[in-house]
Amino acid sequence: MSHDEAHSTGGHKQYFTTWCWLLVMTLLALGMGYAPVPEGIRGALLVCITLAKIFLIASIFMHLKFERLNLVMLTFTPLVLAVILFFVTYGESVGSSTHFIVNH
Amino acid sequence: MDASLAEQQQILASDWGGGKSPFGTSWSKFMMWIFIISDALTFAGFLIAYGFMRMISGGWPKQTEVFNMALITFMTFALISSSAVMAMAVASAREGDPKKAVRYLTMTIIGGTIFMGCQAFEWHHFIGEGARLNHNPWGVPQFAASFFVITGFHGFHVLTGLTILGIVALRAAMGKYSAEGIELAGLYWHFVDVVWVFVFAFFYLL
Repeated sequence: MSHDEAHSTGGHKQYFTTWCWLLVMTLLALGMGYAPVPEGIRGALLVCITLAKIFLIASIFMHLKFERLNLVMLTFTPLVLAVILFFVTYGESVGSSTHFIVNH
Repeated sequence: MDASLAEQQQILASDWGGGKSPFGTSWSKFMMWIFIISDALTFAGFLIAYGFMRMISGGWPKQTEVFNMALITFMTFALISSSAVMAMAVASAREGDPKKAVRYLTMTIIGGTIFMGCQAFEWHHFIGEGARLNHNPWGVPQFAASFFVITGFHGFHVLTGLTILGIVALRAAMGKYSAEGIELAGLYWHFVDVVWVFVFAFFYLL
């Protein structure tokens, strides 16, 4: 199987580089919490960094880079469904004062 | 007639025409992926429910004032590192070096145990400050509720992962080792890491 050979050539060095990138992005995401960045931009940047980290872990650590496109597409389904669910609930939360939760 | 025949032949020639393996994996790896996808949906539900509760309730506490961010960052570091070492364990097993694989697996377990320890400490501290499932001293009750449910569910996954890794490492040390078994345990462990990346970003940082 050709993709098995590709695994071994990826090797430990690539895992180490990936690990370094993940740590850099974690610190970047953390630093943004303290930097004077507007709320909206901070949220968007945070989503981008998170997706980049997920992409790295999935493609290299979980070997999706070496899997067939059919399987790769299958793994995207939760993300797509989550985005749909988010926008459905987001619409509900905007301007509906009936849903407000009282603090006690 | 000709068109439908050509269509039929096209379908038969495709991945889904039968007699082929459309996903190009063994059944066990495919089943692990199906499990991971279903589990990802569970966490997607949790995180979106949390987002909804946060958007409709005023007075969500500022996380940097409630949590010890240095501890959370250290936990993230421990989990990401254990994930990287796990990838190396899988690579070693594939190269046919069980000794090295067991060594890396042990390091993975140590990383996961450090994470669990920190989480236990954090929960202990949080409960000590007066946080319960239905109320907390910092703001709306939904804050502590989503904290306990989301980190609790994730923590349970870490604990399960540690159990699986422990079994796999023991078996590998006894010589009952299969590269694919280690790879499947690795897939699950990376998934636990992926979930934490989301929790870290959306619960602690956003």
